[in-house]
Amino acid sequence: MRLFYLIKKELIEAVRQKEQLFLIFASPIIQIVILGYVISTDVHHVPVGIVNLSKGQAAVRIIERVRQSPLFAVRLESRRSEDYLYLLKKGEVKAMLVFRDALDRKRTPLNYPEVQVLMDGIDSNTSMIAAGYFNGIIKNYILDDMQRLGQGLPIAAKPVFRFNPQLRSINYMGPGIVAFLLTIITMFLTSASMVREKEQQTLDTLLISPLSTLEIYVGKALPSVLIGLVDMVIGLLVVVLWFGIPFRGSLLYLFLAALVYLAAILSYAMLISVFSSTTQQAMFFAWFSLMIFLLMSGFFTPVDNIPPLLRLLADINPLRYLIKIIREIFLKGNGIAYFWKDLLALGGIAVTLVTISLLNFKRFISK
Amino acid sequence: MARIKAIITKEFFHILRDPRSLTLVFIIPLVMIFILGYSISYDLNHVEAAVIDYSQSRLSRQLVRAFAATPVFIVHDRGLDGGALSLARAEELLRAGKIREIIVVPEDFSSRLLAGGQSSVGLVIDGSDTNVANLVYQYDERIILDFIAALKGAGGPAGQLLRLGTKLYFNPEARSQFFFIPGLVAVILLMISAMLTSLSIARERETGSIALLFISPLRSAEIIVGKTIPYIIVALLDGAFILFFARFWFGIPLRGSLLVLMLFALLYIVTGLSLGILISTTAPTQRTAMLATLLGTMLPSFLLSGFIFPLDSLGWALRAISYLIPATYFLRIIRGVILKGAELRHYVFEGGMLIALCLVLLAAATWKFNRQRKVVP
Repeated sequence: MRLFYLIKKELIEAVRQKEQLFLIFASPIIQIVILGYVISTDVHHVPVGIVNLSKGQAAVRIIERVRQSPLFAVRLESRRSEDYLYLLKKGEVKAMLVFRDALDRKRTPLNYPEVQVLMDGIDSNTSMIAAGYFNGIIKNYILDDMQRLGQGLPIAAKPVFRFNPQLRSINYMGPGIVAFLLTIITMFLTSASMVREKEQQTLDTLLISPLSTLEIYVGKALPSVLIGLVDMVIGLLVVVLWFGIPFRGSLLYLFLAALVYLAAILSYAMLISVFSSTTQQAMFFAWFSLMIFLLMSGFFTPVDNIPPLLRLLADINPLRYLIKIIREIFLKGNGIAYFWKDLLALGGIAVTLVTISLLNFKRFISK
Repeated sequence: MARIKAIITKEFFHILRDPRSLTLVFIIPLVMIFILGYSISYDLNHVEAAVIDYSQSRLSRQLVRAFAATPVFIVHDRGLDGGALSLARAEELLRAGKIREIIVVPEDFSSRLLAGGQSSVGLVIDGSDTNVANLVYQYDERIILDFIAALKGAGGPAGQLLRLGTKLYFNPEARSQFFFIPGLVAVILLMISAMLTSLSIARERETGSIALLFISPLRSAEIIVGKTIPYIIVALLDGAFILFFARFWFGIPLRGSLLVLMLFALLYIVTGLSLGILISTTAPTQRTAMLATLLGTMLPSFLLSGFIFPLDSLGWALRAISYLIPATYFLRIIRGVILKGAELRHYVFEGGMLIALCLVLLAAATWKFNRQRKVVP
């Protein structure tokens, strides 16, 4: 019962200002919707320039196809050998497509131009994707020609994409953002909580109350758990209803994983709160942790790409496991048989963090 | 001027009184760039793939070898226990995430090819990570086309398919570090700048000392500017420190002028600090300010600036938002100056937009502050 009053106080403090209320409940929706649109747009409208030095008709027809494709936005077309390096340097185009007449005209009866793609290598990922698109356009053009001659490729590749047949990137990223928002909100609320009591000198009031250390700890953490869960439900609803991401697995396991995760992340945030002497320090620590958690979680780029030594760091990153589990449940509809190891690892991290955090909290209180 | 100086001095005392925060401001970005510089990468290698070869012929084995010969794929033709690999078993491995692709060669692969007919190769790809799935499929196509070309000799229209010459400028090895590290520098600089000032007024409000500011003879604009100036020095030092580290530890080349880069960095930092000040005048408590700063800078700078996702693909509404995000401009500048050796004249628009954003933010902060000042009796 005593605990109830502390939780009530904390909840009131969290939601009493309209600015904070907005940040806690409305901003997740805005963030998910924006994020959803950003990541569900696959690379297209890649700005390119075209230099056509070929005299044949094939180049003209291929260029026509490039112009009509929504994948490219043609910014410039020229028949002179322009200073393409300058355009690349200015960043106006991501690639220059150069068509030249083949030197060896006898080689093929169909007379295709030689094609060169000069790419801005900085965003090499986008450039490679664009080159792939361009390759596809040329390939289709030649295949059409061959079909007219009654020929075909001897080997056809027949791809099937499992779990996400249309390759919608939102299906992959959407569930992850729910995990991330869960983290960002609860982590900041909690990591500022004890510091604020220190800064405002209300800590003594709390300490002389009849509450035990454990009760104070739980009373500080539970409101964040509640807020986190509410945010998660909001996030899930947006992701499923607005973006139409299929949910194939069990809601029960999802919430189980989320609860274990919240225990881990909140005790971590509590550690930050105990160690920092000002809100600013708490903010720096929380920011640092969040950036590392997020960017090493496999959310944007695969965890497999992290080099071995730093992999250890990724292995103790709780967000990594939550994102993996959420994706397994969402996309593949996998049962616990497929992710019990991850859940176990997450549980281990949670138990360790709660223990360390509680011990430090006790020491902090007794000071 | 003397009046502003008083506020600047006071703010400096604030900074120096909390040396731990100051240390964090310098240490955290370095550790972050160190860890993340190695960890964020799109480079695809070691894709685990299973092969189910129903044909078991010379030609099919040749195709499998072609897959295995690339550094991208690690091809398994046996189960993990060493036993034969069935399609059902392979699908199971795909579901468990142990492999990313199954390559299925049909039984009549060789006979059809030798008879001059058409055959096919089945590719079952884990589509959950769309980016990886796309790349894997592109590699597959390439390998198969190469195989066709080798089969028929270089002639014929099929041979032409492969004649796409590509060249990567500015980053010939396609290291994604060249893309991510300058981006990280930009994102981190903005966040650090915004965080430096975001608590300054909220703190005064929480401790009540804001009343002293309200009744001082200083004009609101003077208070706002005076509170920003000391942090310019801190953030600029920090920025130089970060750039130095990126240059010498990761060997990111500096192809343009350092002076131009630092000039734009200064502009960018002041914009970030102004954003922080605006948040600080708006937020009622430090906790709200902190949450607003993080939510307001982290995800927008990640998502809508071109840091990870290219802006050209976005719809007009999101593109419009991206013009309001300072990181959008600095990302273009830093990548251009560092990697392409671009010059000042290339970025007149970007520089102008940063100045405009900065002035609007400062004006809004002053206006907000002024209004609060009048409400207090």
